[in-house]
Amino acid sequence: MNKQIRKLAAALLVLYVVLFVQLNVLQVGKKEALDSHPLNNRQTIRDFNRPRGPIITADGTVVARSVPAQGGDQFKYQREYPTGDLFSNVSGYYTYSFGSTQLEKTKNDILMGDTAAQTVGGVFGGSDNSGSVLLTMRADVQQVAADALGTREGSVVVQDPNTGAILAMVSYPRFDANLVATHDTQAAEDALNFYNNYPGKPLLANAYQENYMPGSSFKIITTGIAFENGVISMDRTWPSASEWVPPQTSDPIQNYGGKSCGGTMAEVFYRSCNIPFAQMAVELGPERMTAGTDAWGIDQKLPIDLPGAVASNFKYANGELIDFENNMPLLAIGGFGQANDKMVPLHMCMVASTVAAGGRMMSPYVVDATLAHNGTVLERTNPEVWKSPITPATAATLNGLMVGVVNNGTGRPMQLANGVQAAAKTGTAQLNATGEPQRSHAWIVGFAPAEAPRYSISVVLKGTNDEISAGTGGKLAGPIAKQVLDYLFASEA
Amino acid sequence: MATSPIATARRNSELGLVVMAAAITAVAYTLAALGQNSTIPARIIPFLIALLGLLLSAHVATRMLAPGADGTLLPLAVLLNGIGYVVIARLSERLAGLQTTWTFIGVIAFVLTLLVVQRPSDLARYKWTFLFIGAGLLMLPLVPGIGTSVGGARIWVSIGPINFQPGEFAKIALALFFAGYLADNRELIAAGTRRIGPMRIPEMRFLLPVTLAWGFAVAVMVAEKDLGSALLFFTLFTVMMWVATERAIYLILGLVLFSAAAYTAYQLFAVVQTRVSIWIDPWSQYEGKGYQIVQAMFAFANGGTGGTGLGLGSPTKIPAAKTDYIFAAIGEEMGLVGATAVLIAFLLMIGAGLRIAMRSERAFEKLLATGLTTIIGMQAFIIIGGVVRVVPLTGITLPFVSYGGSSLLANWVLLALLIRISDSNARRAGEVPDQLTIGERWEARRLRRIERRAGAV
Repeated sequence: MNKQIRKLAAALLVLYVVLFVQLNVLQVGKKEALDSHPLNNRQTIRDFNRPRGPIITADGTVVARSVPAQGGDQFKYQREYPTGDLFSNVSGYYTYSFGSTQLEKTKNDILMGDTAAQTVGGVFGGSDNSGSVLLTMRADVQQVAADALGTREGSVVVQDPNTGAILAMVSYPRFDANLVATHDTQAAEDALNFYNNYPGKPLLANAYQENYMPGSSFKIITTGIAFENGVISMDRTWPSASEWVPPQTSDPIQNYGGKSCGGTMAEVFYRSCNIPFAQMAVELGPERMTAGTDAWGIDQKLPIDLPGAVASNFKYANGELIDFENNMPLLAIGGFGQANDKMVPLHMCMVASTVAAGGRMMSPYVVDATLAHNGTVLERTNPEVWKSPITPATAATLNGLMVGVVNNGTGRPMQLANGVQAAAKTGTAQLNATGEPQRSHAWIVGFAPAEAPRYSISVVLKGTNDEISAGTGGKLAGPIAKQVLDYLFASEA
Repeated sequence: MATSPIATARRNSELGLVVMAAAITAVAYTLAALGQNSTIPARIIPFLIALLGLLLSAHVATRMLAPGADGTLLPLAVLLNGIGYVVIARLSERLAGLQTTWTFIGVIAFVLTLLVVQRPSDLARYKWTFLFIGAGLLMLPLVPGIGTSVGGARIWVSIGPINFQPGEFAKIALALFFAGYLADNRELIAAGTRRIGPMRIPEMRFLLPVTLAWGFAVAVMVAEKDLGSALLFFTLFTVMMWVATERAIYLILGLVLFSAAAYTAYQLFAVVQTRVSIWIDPWSQYEGKGYQIVQAMFAFANGGTGGTGLGLGSPTKIPAAKTDYIFAAIGEEMGLVGATAVLIAFLLMIGAGLRIAMRSERAFEKLLATGLTTIIGMQAFIIIGGVVRVVPLTGITLPFVSYGGSSLLANWVLLALLIRISDSNARRAGEVPDQLTIGERWEARRLRRIERRAGAV
């Protein structure tokens, strides 16, 4: 009988080995797949009972942090956003029932302390490994920009043109992440529904998740492409005209307000005549023009370190390639930023930055560094060149043209305090067809100081009401840019 | 008290191991409380004293009543019982209180069993009694008025305030019957006097009692929809027949019968079809019957290698975490490390049990030890395998670990029987002096008195 008992022992051993193998499959092999399964909220529950690091601005303001939850809460920690709605479009939200967005989502592992670098030596958990995210953005600048924008729909983006680092990026309308992060699921759902139904889409940042017709601010790009291709020079002059009929049509193109407009290169730029730029686009032709817009990063998703960024559009309309060869009027109108042109406000800031930085377009970023719990740097963002659409010479020429706009032209409202020389280009994008009530977006993009730029800016006010639609980019957006830039230079002193 | 160097060494190592198992339990209990409420449990000192007192009395009982027995079985049972208690206490304070009571009763039953059963061979004499006890216990839940169904299985008996699962005890009783009957008749069954083709068939009159008992038991368990127990019992019977007769044909026969029974059960019972379908694909039935098994898989994954830490996981998401699914709670909060420790504890128990069986020289004791060990080993495999989705889940308890009075009590009795056989082996091997048992001393005294009286006449 002992022979059988020995075999029985072996058989039972085999059965238990099978159990052990399956345990390994569940607890090690398929761990990640099971942990991240959509039906599984254990990870979420666990995460809400663990400390989660803060998101901090460059000037030390905490924009997101976890605090011990009030008594009676089902979790140990409550995520809160001390700056309210100011940084919600960047931090995103971190919720129990509705997932997380933006940096709360992309930097989740860092904040929870789950990256390999943070968990070394802590396999069995227990210790607080939570990391933090350090922004390039400044809370003071963000606040000034938000105040300047007020409750007008639109956005303000401020960048360091030399690195691409974003100093401020504010949109209106925006949302308060605290309302969504509450553990009261019903209240959180109500807040989300409210924001989803609110006009102007507060959950989407105008600054980088939407694009708008750029109007004349687009002329920086057209001029840049024309210089690069040798189609124009500073010696070129345009006769004064109020109408020009592009090829393939009999419908003439007019200047803003139907005025007669012309002169030297500098003059047509600061006066913002439309006809010269329509002619530049036509002279370049569809191939060179679209190659140029490609070089400026148009029709490509912006490479910012935040999810959900969209692309600007020139050669695509509603996802379809435009046949400019057989639609030259569209190309001509596109040359001065009308028709199908759509620019992301952040991208327009990058356009100003490109001129400011001698022709290099840097990748925009909001995360300066990620830090471990003890403060050591896990990863620091290295500035990267995204595009090089123009030569330093063209950049210098455009710089001069944009200085002219501030000193002599439509950009006069952006003349800065203390004699700091700014450079800019305005835009008033006409949204209405002829005969309809006027609707227009007001733009200004620029940088300062012109001789050695440290800040670039784009401001857009959406033409959603009569007040904005009646104004121009210079008059409406200019003062906002001035307010923000003046503050920046004053804060340096 | 009988002493010998070997006995002293065994009992001392047992004492050391029991203290270690108790310490692990106490530390785990404290950690679970810390993990849940960040406070050290207020009753930790009385808890420790009671725990140690209880376990030491079990140890002292072995020292006195079975000094030569294997020294690892008791500590392993203590460890499993302790881990189970900690997990139950972490899930429900009320059930923890009940489980404490049942553990006390279990240990008392352990001591009583050692006290009452002083020679294993005494049990062999009552094999027919055990058959009827076993059959009676099995049928009890089917009796109208006292039998109740919980979770689809009609395996409970309620008499007044007492609820219990007689099936847990029926298993032991039937193992005793099989061991007793097969020890007497194994050669007759093995020899086989009638020939059919190349096969030799034993006389029906030798085979009939066991097959009838087996068929009856399986039929009753199936009628009660207690599939886990039916499977366990099937395995127990097959293994005991095979070991007793030393003929592989019974193993093959068992497998064939099992396949046929499984197929029939699948065709006949919706519950079997459900169990199989959620075993194959629990995901599509997440909202319904598949919920628990999916949550169990999430629990294991959540635990990972080191576990979430006691009191820090979410085992409450599994409704049956205290009973059938307790292993998932262990896997979540103690991780692969803790779950493997439990597997190893069962393996060591199986090893100890089968070693006892092999050392035993009497067929009855050998078969009984084999049967009892098979019960523990297979029951743990069936339920753990169900929880980790190696086999379809059939609801039975994890021995010593799951919440449940009947199960705990029955397993402590089972443990006492194994220890009794082990001690008997040691006596026979001369490792400890084979002194008279208390019962035998009384009997001897009675005989002497009768002799004296007879002499006086």
